[in-house]
Amino acid sequence: MGLTRDGIGGLACLAGSLVLLWSSRDIPQPALVPIGPAFYPRIVLGMTAVLSAALLATDLGRRRPPTAPPRARVSYRLVVLTFLVFTLYVFVLPWLGYRVSTTLFVAALQATLDPPRRARDWGLVAVMAVVSMLVTYYLFERYLSVLLPRGRLTAF
Amino acid sequence: MFSQLFASFGDILQTQYLVPLAIGTLAGLVGGVLPGVTITMTIIIVLPFTFGLDPLAGLAAMTGVYVGGESGGLVTSILLGIPGKPSAVATMFDGFPMARRGEPGRAIWLGTWASFLGGLLGALFLVGATVPLATFALQFGPWEYFSLFIFALSMVAGLTEQSLLKGLLAGAIGMIITVIGSDPIMAVGRFTFGSDFLRNGFQFLPVLIGVFAFAQIMTDLERMATAGTTRGVEAPSLAVSHVAVLWDILKRPFLLLWSTIIGLLIGVLPAIGGSAANVMAYDQAKKFSRHPEKFGTGIPEGIIASEASNNSNVAGSLVTIMAFGIPGDAVTAVMLGAMTIHGIQPGPLFMSQQPKVAYGLFAAYILAHPIMIVLQWLLAPVYLKIVRVPKAVLIPQVLVLCVIGAYALNNVMDNVYALLLFGVVGYGLVKLGFPLAPLILGVILGDQIEVNLVRALMTDADPWLFVTRPISGAMLGLAVASVVFALWQHRRQQQLPPAEADTDF
Repeated sequence: MGLTRDGIGGLACLAGSLVLLWSSRDIPQPALVPIGPAFYPRIVLGMTAVLSAALLATDLGRRRPPTAPPRARVSYRLVVLTFLVFTLYVFVLPWLGYRVSTTLFVAALQATLDPPRRARDWGLVAVMAVVSMLVTYYLFERYLSVLLPRGRLTAF
Repeated sequence: MFSQLFASFGDILQTQYLVPLAIGTLAGLVGGVLPGVTITMTIIIVLPFTFGLDPLAGLAAMTGVYVGGESGGLVTSILLGIPGKPSAVATMFDGFPMARRGEPGRAIWLGTWASFLGGLLGALFLVGATVPLATFALQFGPWEYFSLFIFALSMVAGLTEQSLLKGLLAGAIGMIITVIGSDPIMAVGRFTFGSDFLRNGFQFLPVLIGVFAFAQIMTDLERMATAGTTRGVEAPSLAVSHVAVLWDILKRPFLLLWSTIIGLLIGVLPAIGGSAANVMAYDQAKKFSRHPEKFGTGIPEGIIASEASNNSNVAGSLVTIMAFGIPGDAVTAVMLGAMTIHGIQPGPLFMSQQPKVAYGLFAAYILAHPIMIVLQWLLAPVYLKIVRVPKAVLIPQVLVLCVIGAYALNNVMDNVYALLLFGVVGYGLVKLGFPLAPLILGVILGDQIEVNLVRALMTDADPWLFVTRPISGAMLGLAVASVVFALWQHRRQQQLPPAEADTDF
């Protein structure tokens, strides 16, 4: 009998809550107060474990239709690529700073989502990336006094 | 009270507040018009711009987004038959047929003026009810607060479209996120596993931005390859007689009033949201109508009911956050985050301790409506161009603003890493069918639930006080009732065919 996404979700939450419940033994208990820092997390984790188990049990006990209903067509290619480009951006940001990494990120993601075909398209992607970096940089740093990340390698 | 309100009108009419309010309203309208960009997403985008502003200016901008967003969504619903946002779903039922019949201008302005009137009627409730409710909340001790937060959480978990179990579980996951890091009473590290990143815990804004922005963007990307475009749609003329449109609305005072009341009541209840208000008001208008069979064919009643309710819903949500400090929905959750960044704590003492901000917020809400009308009039000729902005251009800009929003909270990269982490978590939860609203409320209320629970038990170890104190007992009773109601409602919904609509996470 296979699990649906409810069962998978229930199982993941049950496992997570039990691991954390076990780790809660490491939370120090101060001697002078009756209610320690582990009191509330244990209640929440216990409740989570019970709810997860109920979700898992409901899924296991549910009667499945002989044929699964048709699902809407989805593609995960762009989702995976976007997560990859964004993760790269987040980890490059402290090294190259806001200006360089944001320009690269905007260009890379735009080119990923709508691949340029001609030289003119590449030019538009580059212009868009530079303009959006300049607008956000000057707006936030100069007018709104919001400091943006500096790069350890670039020093700006 | 009214003298303070009039003084606040004077404040908001100054350039330093009026400009952010107008820009926020414009951003809300544009965000509302773009299909797939919800008001939550728009307010997340606007959030970093408010960090450098005066608190009232920042909140005025966000109020503008909220009001503008509720009105902008109707345009896409009416012109393209695609709900610009979930709270404009019912607007489409009659707005789109009316536009196809050759009256797009009438449909859009019926919706816009109904939003305006519904919003202003909602303002009467906002101004009149916030102070009495906040005064009532002053009687609350830790028992009452604990029970109120549990009630809010149970209500949100129960009234989500997915299963009750998943709603409750999502709320519990949100509460688990708050127990990671230092505990709020003795600052003892919990579940840090020796990591400095976990030692500081998670601030709720990066969590909220990550969860909502990624859930929305990634779901859009899944459909991007298969979805059709709006190219080839001709720009129709939206010219109309405003006097005739206003008369269309005002000759149905009961419909306008009843839809406004529905929107307000749903707004006051935590996290049910504008989409429920929109559909429920439409449903009520149909039930009370002498000709229910005409609904769905392009009649004014359907547009008026749905649009008056979703704008008055904003006023209801603002009452809840200002009187009790509980965000009524994801949009007010971001507003709550912005308030805490500026050192303002919404709740029962908000009105007395921050009268300038509180009454300024009332004034901003009221003034956002005429600004919305002016901007709607100016934007009408370019709406179809806005709708056609490619997602490939929009998404990188949104993600950059999310990063700025998270980083600028304390100028540390940890918040950006948290944004990425919870982006993945949020998207994973959406794929597993978990609702996100209870999760966010769990993150927002988790610390407060713990503090009030521990405070109550340290004051008196008797746990029965949670039940025997009248207000606390009533709240817990309502929490149980909301769970029972949700069980009944879910059972009933399982017998109905599922409806196709844009998702508001």
